[in-house]
Order: sequence, then C-alpha cells, then structure tokens
Amino acid sequence: MNIKKSWWKWLCIPLGLYVLLVGMLVPLKPGITSIDNFNATAGQPFSVHVKGYNSNFDIAENLKAFLRLDSSFLIQHALIKVNGPTDLQLQFDIPNFLPTSEDYATGTLILDNEVDGPSILPAVIRLEQANINVQDGNNLWSKTSLNLASVEKGFKFPHRNILNETIRNTFFHVAIWFAMFFLLILSLINSIQYLRLRSFEKDINASSYAEVAILFGLIGIATGSVWAKYTWGAFWISDVKLNMSAVALLIYVAYLILRASIQDIDSRARLSAAYNIFAFVAMIPLIFVIPRMTDSLHPGNGGNPALGGEDLDNRLRMVFYPAIILWSIIGYWLSNLNIRVKKITEQLISKK
Amino acid sequence: MKSNQIFSILFLLIICPFTIWAQSDTDFLRSTGKIYTVVAVIAILFLGIMYFIFRLDKKITEIEKQIKE
Repeated sequence: MNIKKSWWKWLCIPLGLYVLLVGMLVPLKPGITSIDNFNATAGQPFSVHVKGYNSNFDIAENLKAFLRLDSSFLIQHALIKVNGPTDLQLQFDIPNFLPTSEDYATGTLILDNEVDGPSILPAVIRLEQANINVQDGNNLWSKTSLNLASVEKGFKFPHRNILNETIRNTFFHVAIWFAMFFLLILSLINSIQYLRLRSFEKDINASSYAEVAILFGLIGIATGSVWAKYTWGAFWISDVKLNMSAVALLIYVAYLILRASIQDIDSRARLSAAYNIFAFVAMIPLIFVIPRMTDSLHPGNGGNPALGGEDLDNRLRMVFYPAIILWSIIGYWLSNLNIRVKKITEQLISKK
Repeated sequence: MKSNQIFSILFLLIICPFTIWAQSDTDFLRSTGKIYTVVAVIAILFLGIMYFIFRLDKKITEIEKQIKE
C-alpha cells in the first residue's frame, strides 16, 4: 500500500489507539455515587451514609459537607466520620424551621475537601417541617457561607451523577452519529452530482455511502439503547430524540428498499438520487430541529446547543473530536471498499 | 452456516449474559461506575463493523467465482 496515497488509512491506527487508551484510561473526577437516607425532618438530626467515587476522604484533612436548599440557603455539617477513602458518615442538625412557606424543601448535598474538590449530589434530600415560620427559617439557615476549595489536579473527565463512567460512551455512541452525518452528506453530494452529470459512478458512490451511514445509524441506535438501559432505566423510552432518529433511519432504510425494488438501472439511479435528497432534507428537522423544540433527555435539547454546556467539557473534547475523525475515516474507508466492490461487479456484468 | 446466522448467534451470546446480570440488584453492568456499559457499547460497535466486513467478504467471494467462470 502506498503510504503517501493512503495516509488517511494509516491515521486510523494512532487515532484509534488514542481514542481507546485515553478515552478509557483517564480517570473520572471524584463524585458521589449514592446516599442511604433521603428524608430529613426539621428540628431533628439528619444522619446519612455517603458513598463516594474516586474520592480520597481518608487523605483529605479539611472535609466539609453542606446541605443546600433550592432557595440557596445552606447549613454545614455537624459531624463527619470517615470510614474509608470512599465511605463517609455525615450528620446535619436540621434547624427547627425551613426558610420556605411550604411544608417541605428539596436539598442538595455538597461535599468538599482540598484533595478532591467539591462533589455534588443535586436535589435528592427531601426536608419536611411540621410548623412554618419563614422569618426564623431565614435566620437559622443563613449563617454559613459556601466557600469551596478550588482544585485542578491532573487530567480527568467530569463526574456526572447517573452517567458515571458511561460518559466515555461519548467517544463511541455520539461520535458514530457524527460519522453517520458525515457519510450522509457525502451521499447527498453524490446524489446531486448524479442528477447533474448523469454519471453512473456517482450513483454507486451515493448508495455505498448511504449503506455505511445506515449501518452506523443502526449501531448508534443499538449502543444508545444499551446506554439508556443503564442510565435512564429502559432500552427504549418515549423520548423525542430517540423516536425522531428512528423515523429518520426508517426513511433511509426505505431508500435501500426503493433501490432494491427497481430493476431498470437508469430509473433506479434517478429515482433514488431524488429520494436521497428528500431523505436528507427530512432528516435535518427530525434530528436537529424537533428535539430542540421540546424536552428531551439527551443533553443539549430543549434549548441549548448540543456542544455547549457542562456535559461536554474541554477534557472530553480532546478525545471526542479525534473520535469523530476516527469513525468518519473508518466509515469513509468502509464505503470506499464497498464502492470498489460494486464497480468491479458492474464491470464484470458489462463484460459478459 | 451463513455469515448472517453466525452473527445472530454471536449477538445472542453476547446479549444474553447482559440481560441476566441486569435482573439482579448487584448488577454487573452497573458495577464499578457502570464501566461495563461502555464495554458493551464498544462490543456492539465492533460487531456492527465486523458484520459489514463479512458482507463485503461475501461479495468479493462472488466476484472471484465469476472471474473463475
């Protein structure tokens, strides 16, 4: 193989090793995995057992714990007992009144130390009060201020609750969808070129790119399904993004059925090129527009752009972008092999 | 055996243990920060690409047959 001509194929090796090794070996930031007590009552001590992840509770000297309400009022811990590096026993003395006119409030648990930095478990503790006194509640809850240690140690991926280590799926599940879009764009370009030039070669290209793109789409759905099972709780949920991407994929599967059902080569090429343009135009609102107009469990939907926010931090990007390039190259390579096989088959048929 | 059959058997072999583990409380795929979910995702990705390579292999074998004829 000529290295100068096929450098992009060789690029797969370092890129693949980089994505797999860095993507799998970089540790996560410390976080909280679980707590054993979710209900607190005003005026009574609230004791809770905390399980950390990648934490160093035993090394840290300046351990602090906060219970913070939605209204940003907070109290500090009364007692901390360290049982192990990831095992902590906490006690809070909940004041007699809550700073709210409701009979309950939702609390967020914040742990902080100088080794791990802050770890947060948002909105998990339900605090109840029998008697309501907003004035006293405000006074009792506003005594401490939140001073968190700022630690930036080493190259680590963010720890997200529920997601945990599966945040690494970004390099496989999300990147494979991006590679699919890359291949679908190539397929679209070739279909337009077919309609302009009527060159049979472009028809072969368009169908080959679309085939690999559909394979990647199916892989994307299957991997997403497994990911959903262990984070959202079910293989398939009625989420807009899921349903719409399934519809978009079905539209493309119909493209393959359309091609298979027409015998005449010229009309097959012409019809499928026109259909491919329609399928691409239909896919854009289905995958990119509609999920953003309503609420979706996917990050970046229901308002925010997909690549913004805290879900994809700069550390993840350093692996995520190479992963997109890697899967795009592999997809391009696979479709190229497909194109070559199809062209040879056509040549054989025309020789006979 | 056709490659399609081999793949469906392989797929079942890989999925079965996952579904059995998924039923217990101390779930294997949820252990160690759910890292095995990532492993499952990579396995599916690998299987998908291998399926394509097998299909391509079959097409090339057909071409070789035609050339011999």
